[in-house]
Amino acid sequence: MSMTKKAAAASALLALSLSIAHADDGVPSNTVRVGLYYVHYHTSADDISGPYVPTGLNLSVNDVETLYLAYVRRLSEHFDLELAAGYPPVTKTEGRGPATLGSVPYNGQVISTARWFAPTLLLNYKFFDESHAWRPYFGIGVNYANFYDRRSTAAGNAASGGPTSISLPVSVGPAATVGMSYHLQGRWSLYASYSATVVKSKLTADTAGVMRTSDINFGPRALVVAAGYAF
Amino acid sequence: MSRIRGPFYSAIAVVLLTACGSNSTTSEVATSTARGTLIQNPPLRIASLDAAALTAQLNASASGQQLLELAQAPTCGVDFYYIQYWTVGGANETATATGALMVPTGSAAQCSGPRPIVLYAHGTTTLKTYNIADITNPSNTEGALVAAMFAAQGYIVVAPNYAGYDTSSLSYHPFLNGAQQSKDMIDALTAARTALPQTLSAATTDSGKLFITGYSEGGYVAMATHKALQAANQTVTASAPMSGPYALAAFFDAVFYGDVNIGSTEFTPLITTSYQKAYGNIYSATTDIYEPTYATGIDTLLPSTTPIDTLFEDGKLPETALFSSTTPVTGNATLDAALAVPKNPIFALGFGASNLITNDYRLSYVLDAVAHPDGAAPVPMPGVPLAASPQNTLRIAAKLNDMRTWVPHVPVLLCGGDMDPTVYFTLNAGTMQAFWAAAGLPAEVVTILDVNAAPTAQDPFAAVKVGFQETEAQIVSSQGQVAAVESYHTTVAPFCTAAARGFFSQF
Repeated sequence: MSMTKKAAAASALLALSLSIAHADDGVPSNTVRVGLYYVHYHTSADDISGPYVPTGLNLSVNDVETLYLAYVRRLSEHFDLELAAGYPPVTKTEGRGPATLGSVPYNGQVISTARWFAPTLLLNYKFFDESHAWRPYFGIGVNYANFYDRRSTAAGNAASGGPTSISLPVSVGPAATVGMSYHLQGRWSLYASYSATVVKSKLTADTAGVMRTSDINFGPRALVVAAGYAF
Repeated sequence: MSRIRGPFYSAIAVVLLTACGSNSTTSEVATSTARGTLIQNPPLRIASLDAAALTAQLNASASGQQLLELAQAPTCGVDFYYIQYWTVGGANETATATGALMVPTGSAAQCSGPRPIVLYAHGTTTLKTYNIADITNPSNTEGALVAAMFAAQGYIVVAPNYAGYDTSSLSYHPFLNGAQQSKDMIDALTAARTALPQTLSAATTDSGKLFITGYSEGGYVAMATHKALQAANQTVTASAPMSGPYALAAFFDAVFYGDVNIGSTEFTPLITTSYQKAYGNIYSATTDIYEPTYATGIDTLLPSTTPIDTLFEDGKLPETALFSSTTPVTGNATLDAALAVPKNPIFALGFGASNLITNDYRLSYVLDAVAHPDGAAPVPMPGVPLAASPQNTLRIAAKLNDMRTWVPHVPVLLCGGDMDPTVYFTLNAGTMQAFWAAAGLPAEVVTILDVNAAPTAQDPFAAVKVGFQETEAQIVSSQGQVAAVESYHTTVAPFCTAAARGFFSQF
């Protein structure tokens, strides 16, 4: 999907959510959630290509845990609009392939790190009515991922052959979630959800002007456990 | 919408506030284009091999195993860096060039701390993409040779690819242009010295000792570099030019008289393009020198991204026929005999029906050589002087680049094989020895090593000689005499390189 199409999809999602919203029915309209993200990456990447790169060099991304923050706007009894954004975690990329490049360790070495600013906008449909304590829901939406603080580690520099800058363009892709809420009491609820997001980017490593690249599909899967306060 | 705005933007602000930081950076790119400027600092390390990994890599091929036997097991690991630097072309135009910096590593005493530098000049290649730094390329045998012979034994190696090769901005190669190629070498050395403290192997430093060596074209370049550094009062500890065309003008004359060397159809376009770019007077049109079949595009043919065998197959160059087998007839019986197809079967290979150089040009060249003879060829004269006043522009260029213009101040080893059909050893090394002797240079400053000669008593190079001669005998017995002749020039290289290392180890 092109960036233009992705932006159009996000706009359509917002328009749809606004059309769903209706008059105040006395139920608090806003909820903030705080919890934990457990992110597991199903990384698939092309072998790294470029000058002086042996065949079979690949990558994987380590799982992370981070703070989950979300603002949820109640649109109707059954629809929510959720803006979820974890505290940008440091993700670590490991080398996959031969144990060594020459005499430089590679396989299993953390070769780069980056922080992810990756908010997701979701339109959620909640089952049952407000009287139910347990309410399953599902949602679809759009994820935007910006990778910053991109660093090649000492091990990465050794494998690449010197100080290395890393480029990872912004990713915009679809997201989906399934979850369950539990109304504790008053304004407090608990939430658990599992989300899948398409996050693709092209890694370009520049070492002394020599470019090596790999197209990466990070394939993040996120488990969230959170508490929410409605107001 | 208004009810959303406050908390919505608050949430955005929380995550945005965390979205700041800096990314890691790569090397700095030099803004200066001055000669010797390192373009990327620090440079790229292409590979890092410890002694065991280097041994394993060499053991993976038959040629590598032979090299290990000759060079001995690596004591040090080697880090291979790719340096890019500013230099000049044959017309003094600004140009970029690339090369190798090989740094010994490891815990053995001779693998770190202050170490001597070997400045190495590679032999002729027609392949434009040549990169001696790329040790990951199995065809980079010369890179493996200098790595095993020098870097793995504790020498820092600096080896330019030469302007015109790899990613150089120069569109041609200033082949056998002594002034340019010595500048290229010195600029690579300057850039490598800038790079060394910034590399991942900074525990190894420059001791200040400088050895210069190289093979074939690189033998010539090594001598030109020694000459230039000496003229600039820069330190040279010793040099070991190997199998190079030092007495260039005499060598050219010998070839045009009929002693055609193996490889001449490759060397000649490189030479004429180089000198045309530098001096502008070698020809008005390429047809002044070349047969019409080959003249179009020959000035940009080499070096090429196309393998030389393909160029032969495509008819871009004849494989061996430099001159026509129907030789010029002038009416002068002596001259006609001199121009006739030689009886020597190796020289005779340089004659054929589909020849490269026109009879007219060959004759004009030889007539100039007859009128203004070189002192080393075809008949050696006392002191082997250069021709006094040649008129042929190619002979003028050859004289300008001939090495009979200097006398070394520090020890020099000239190594080669006396049966070399590509670069004639006696005509080149022997002429330099005679020239220097006539100039009063003490004999002990220059060592002449013919690897094909019989070892003498207490001969420090006995092992090299025996090794070479046994290898030649094996090639003759297994592949035949023709193969042995064709590969002779290449076969000499590792043995002379081993001799150069032994020679350098004295200092």
